[in-house]
Amino acid sequence: MTRWWLLALILSLSPAARADDATPTAERVKAAEKEYAIPYRLTDTKHILVRVKVNGKGPFNLILDTGAPAVFITKKSAERAGLDTDKDGWAATDSFELEGGLKVSGAKARVADLFQLEGMNGMGLAGVELHGVVGYNVLAKYRITYDFTADKLKFVALDFTPPAVNAKGKDNSQGGLDLLGPAMKMLAGFMGIKPNFAVEPRGFLGVELAETDGKLAVKSVVKGSPAETAGLKPGDLITGVSKAFAATGRESGIDDLDRLKAFGRWVEPMRAGQKAKIQVERGDKTETVTVEFGKGL
Amino acid sequence: MNFKLAIASLLTVAIAGGVQAQALPEVKPVKVPFKLLPSRHMLIEVTINDKGPYKLIFDTGAPLNIVTSRLGKETGISKRGGGGIAALLSGGMNQVEIGTMQLGDVTAKKVAAVVMDHPTVKAISDAFAEEHGTIDGIVGFPFFARFATTVDYQKKELLLSPRDYKPGNYIEDLTKSLSAAGENAGRAKVVGPAGLWGFALKKAKADEEPGVAVTEVYEGTPAAKAGLKVGDRVLTIDGRWTDSLGDAHVAVSLVKPGRKADVTLTRDGKPMTLSITPVVGY
Repeated sequence: MTRWWLLALILSLSPAARADDATPTAERVKAAEKEYAIPYRLTDTKHILVRVKVNGKGPFNLILDTGAPAVFITKKSAERAGLDTDKDGWAATDSFELEGGLKVSGAKARVADLFQLEGMNGMGLAGVELHGVVGYNVLAKYRITYDFTADKLKFVALDFTPPAVNAKGKDNSQGGLDLLGPAMKMLAGFMGIKPNFAVEPRGFLGVELAETDGKLAVKSVVKGSPAETAGLKPGDLITGVSKAFAATGRESGIDDLDRLKAFGRWVEPMRAGQKAKIQVERGDKTETVTVEFGKGL
Repeated sequence: MNFKLAIASLLTVAIAGGVQAQALPEVKPVKVPFKLLPSRHMLIEVTINDKGPYKLIFDTGAPLNIVTSRLGKETGISKRGGGGIAALLSGGMNQVEIGTMQLGDVTAKKVAAVVMDHPTVKAISDAFAEEHGTIDGIVGFPFFARFATTVDYQKKELLLSPRDYKPGNYIEDLTKSLSAAGENAGRAKVVGPAGLWGFALKKAKADEEPGVAVTEVYEGTPAAKAGLKVGDRVLTIDGRWTDSLGDAHVAVSLVKPGRKADVTLTRDGKPMTLSITPVVGY
């Protein structure tokens, strides 16, 4: 397969602001340097995703993008949030709240369907539906630390009001790349890709596990859980799982060096209601139990 | 390619939010000044393979580093010339490895990049050439993910502290996801907790209020020990909104066993925060 579709992704998500925009000059206001821990995820496309409720609606999945001059939000999302767009494509928000408890006051957004997002959404490449980007006009209000060994981003409110961004209308600097969005959607159709961004909760088992001396042991069984119903007992050593374990490429058995991880990979795709077999050593006997995954976590 | 394998890797990539590596011992972060262009792009100076410095745009929204063919030739990272759109459209993605990239006192070695004359980069370069000279590309994820990177627009500086994080191979990962997406044919993605919590949740279709309702708390589990009760309305787990079952499962998928997570909820209309530490299990 040619990789031209990658083109749209390697772009910064950056519709350039117009060159004739005024050079930014700082304008100061008073604000405390408050710190926020903002949850994030990395998308499959290595974008930094945060979730935002706009006017209490959403949450919307937005990418943090220093390559964008402002917040951009898709037309459909703007409609859901009840935003009124002015003639230049800007919309004021009544509230703009990042997951993690950060309320950004006076956030303005450009309402536009960025071709990069359309392309990624058409093919489901990011693994989640993308609704827009957060750019300079909001990012500049905070000193933000991106550390991918941590599970939160650090936002510190700055005593700083970024100069307004006045980009108007369309710019023509994409050099034809904007045609890629629709092209990727078409390609997705040809390839039979129907992105489904829904998340289905995994099934629940109800065992606490421990790995000792290279063996995977049932440490405790949750009372009233599917594991208990199936007859698993504390002290059982898990030695094999049913052919659903082929999900990791093997027919049966947990022969990985890291048995716990291997078991985790086996469990990973299980849906509630799904049945599977687990083989255990109990004392000097080998038992096979059938477990029906339930609901819970 | 094995479809199930692909899904497994897809899930791994999708839910592996952060903690993949240990932080290195903290040293004083290196300051790198940037200029802010009128287009609000951040312009930094980068020395590449001991040549330059070149002017590049720092972009957290860019999953790849991109350099112009001019820069590629000058620094000896690409033998082939031309990295125009036509070349890319025909599949001629020119992926290279940059020997050294130096920003201020920070040096990164063996950094993946793509040689490409990107139209947006050119447009920005042309617009500001008089004041800033030629702009030769974009610094993105494969560079800055190796650091704890702080962006301060007020002081116009970046602070970089090395971290032991591997940005991964973008093109390989993406090919896997695409392949999985094609074969998965529209099925929802299954997401589950990384550990055992010990409770169950529900959300009625017509229920549009924030949060999800606790329907069961299993005896002796971390949830029970923390004091969670049936009927509680869970609003966030580990800072993440839980307005749907899917959201709640994404949130618990990102909390490794043994790590304490705050759970905010309302009980009989009153707000409360509990701390739950999931244990190893499923």
